[in-house]
Amino acid sequence: MALVETQDLVKKYELGGETVRAVDGVSLSIERGEYVAIMGASGSGKSTFMNMIGCLDIPTSGIVRIDGIATSDRDSDALAELRNQKIGFVFQQFNLLARTTALDNVAVPLIYAGLGTEARREKAKAKLEEMGLGDRLDHSPAKLSGGQQQRVAIARALVTDPVILLADEPTGALDSKTSEDIMQIFESLNAQGITIIVVTHEAEIADHAKRRIEFRDGKVIEDVAVNNSQKVSS
Amino acid sequence: MIGNFRQQASGWLVNVAIAMTALRTNLMRSILTTLGVMIGVFAVTLAVAVGSGAQVSVMQSINALGSNMALIFPQPDTGEGGRRSFDRGRLTMRDARAIQKQISGIDDIAPQLRSNIQLIVAGRNASTNAVGTTPGYGKVSNLVAENGRFISEADVRSAARVVVLGPTVARKLFGDFDPVGETIRINRAPFTVIGITESKGSSFGNDNDDIALMPISTMRQRFSGDSLAGPDDLQLLFVGFQNGISLPEAKREMTKLLRERYRVRGKDINPFTIRTTEEFMKESAQVTGIFQIVLVAIASISLLVGGIGIMNIMLVSVTERTREIGLRMALGAKRSDIRNQFLVEAAVLCVIGGAMGLILAIAGGTALTVYADFPVPIGVGVGVGAIIFSAFIGLLFGGYPAVRASRLSPIEALRTE
Ligand SMILES: Nc1ncnc2c1ncn2[C@@H]1O[C@H](COP(=O)(O)OP(=O)(O)O)[C@@H](O)[C@H]1O
Ligand SMILES: [Mg+2]
Repeated sequence: MALVETQDLVKKYELGGETVRAVDGVSLSIERGEYVAIMGASGSGKSTFMNMIGCLDIPTSGIVRIDGIATSDRDSDALAELRNQKIGFVFQQFNLLARTTALDNVAVPLIYAGLGTEARREKAKAKLEEMGLGDRLDHSPAKLSGGQQQRVAIARALVTDPVILLADEPTGALDSKTSEDIMQIFESLNAQGITIIVVTHEAEIADHAKRRIEFRDGKVIEDVAVNNSQKVSS
Repeated sequence: MIGNFRQQASGWLVNVAIAMTALRTNLMRSILTTLGVMIGVFAVTLAVAVGSGAQVSVMQSINALGSNMALIFPQPDTGEGGRRSFDRGRLTMRDARAIQKQISGIDDIAPQLRSNIQLIVAGRNASTNAVGTTPGYGKVSNLVAENGRFISEADVRSAARVVVLGPTVARKLFGDFDPVGETIRINRAPFTVIGITESKGSSFGNDNDDIALMPISTMRQRFSGDSLAGPDDLQLLFVGFQNGISLPEAKREMTKLLRERYRVRGKDINPFTIRTTEEFMKESAQVTGIFQIVLVAIASISLLVGGIGIMNIMLVSVTERTREIGLRMALGAKRSDIRNQFLVEAAVLCVIGGAMGLILAIAGGTALTVYADFPVPIGVGVGVGAIIFSAFIGLLFGGYPAVRASRLSPIEALRTE
């Protein structure tokens, strides 16, 4: 069974009497352990697609299945639980809580998982240490560099041990050196078995993935396996 | 079970921690919002306390009169309407004796004449309200001589120049010195102090101890001889009843008796008025009840304003933190988690404001008790009630903003700048 599956997925927006088909009939499936890059020009519907498979947005029509269960069959509480347990989000702008320490930021999902204070601290600390931020636990986002902030965000996305990591332009606000560090992290996470779906319009970022899906005007125009050895030789 | 409870408790604690962070972030705004609730809770708490203080005061002053009695005075009872067959009110010593003889269940009676007098001793003087009465007064009014003795039948028969002083008058004239047996001058005539009454405190700022008692016969001879029409006339009559006697029934019987004595017929107005302590209690309970409702209603307006302030600031807070709400939802917060977070924030604001308001109210109540001699009891019940009520205000006025926050769509909230 596919981990993520969409069927005829459509998202329409009505804008001033005009209908925008942001996602226009996308059917695809992503298996456990895949590393997928979603590419396409700005406005091609990448984010809209990501938000629907992340259960943040509701499709106009079509089906999204996570682990075989259609999201439309679940109520808002069940979707919240699904996001909490199975999906980790990484955003372009990091989205960390200001005036809140790295440790407390990473612990937020564990509040909603119902863990007690001690368990939350321990798990959050372990994840931050994995991200090489063991010495930054009590720093607020304002005192961290962009790369460090994004690593805190990744620790937060991973703290509930989800099966899927969704990253929408995770390096969009970072310089190329720092971007490369983040890609290294993604690669090692994928090696540990976490399914990764990353939206990007940078070819270098997409080259780290094993599969590339190209969007144009809300439709998938290309869906190919990436040959990593080719990348190295080119 | 226990694990689940601990998880929930820790969930609420997290919400309190989130709330404190949020409130600290906008400290000035939080303080100003809190002030609104503080003033509201202060006003309502004080209103409740003043209202119940008034009730206590009224009951105390009625109990100070004597708990089960009727007061009769020579004043036309205009309550019923009708023809007036006399030129003035009537009440005589003979009426008093007739009542004592013919009405059943009477404990004792206290016929009275009252007059303002000047007391002088060794250069000190005091003026007070003197009551000329009989030994029955002590029994009917629950007044005993703490020191010395009360007026006796013999004193009344002989119109003896003896006086029983209230503690306040005694202190004014003699300080700490025991005055029993001393001679004082009342309007020039020498009187012997035979006793000091027990203290009855004060009610409504009225000192019940500022009193002097003497035999009714002495009073009639010396102080109110010509202010009354007849030599047998009374200004006031207390009729004390035994416990368990129905006062309305006794009042009906006394009215019937006095109407016969004065030959009042049909719907004609009585030349006397009878009131019972039971009627006083009912009337004052009604008056103080209305007084309290009006007071609390007025005070509630300020609490309402405070509550609207809470709602306003919570709506602002939700709008400002829309992106945070979206993020929390993306990270797994259920609608109820978001709702509770903002409810707790509103409740924390209100409880802090409520606690400050309660402290202010206790200070205000104490000041009133001490300086205005008006009891304002703020008990543990009122205190706990005020805090719970504040939390309730928080939930009530924080409810709409909190529910609104919880209904946001995760993606739309996240996209907000
Ligand atoms: N909330 C919205 N309301 C109206 N139109 C939207 C909304 N979100 C996205 N769109 C439109 O949908 C299309 C796809 O947007 P998006 O998925 O953000 O593209 P991408 O992430 O590929 O840049 C764009 O034309 C965009 O203007
Ligand atoms: Mg996008």
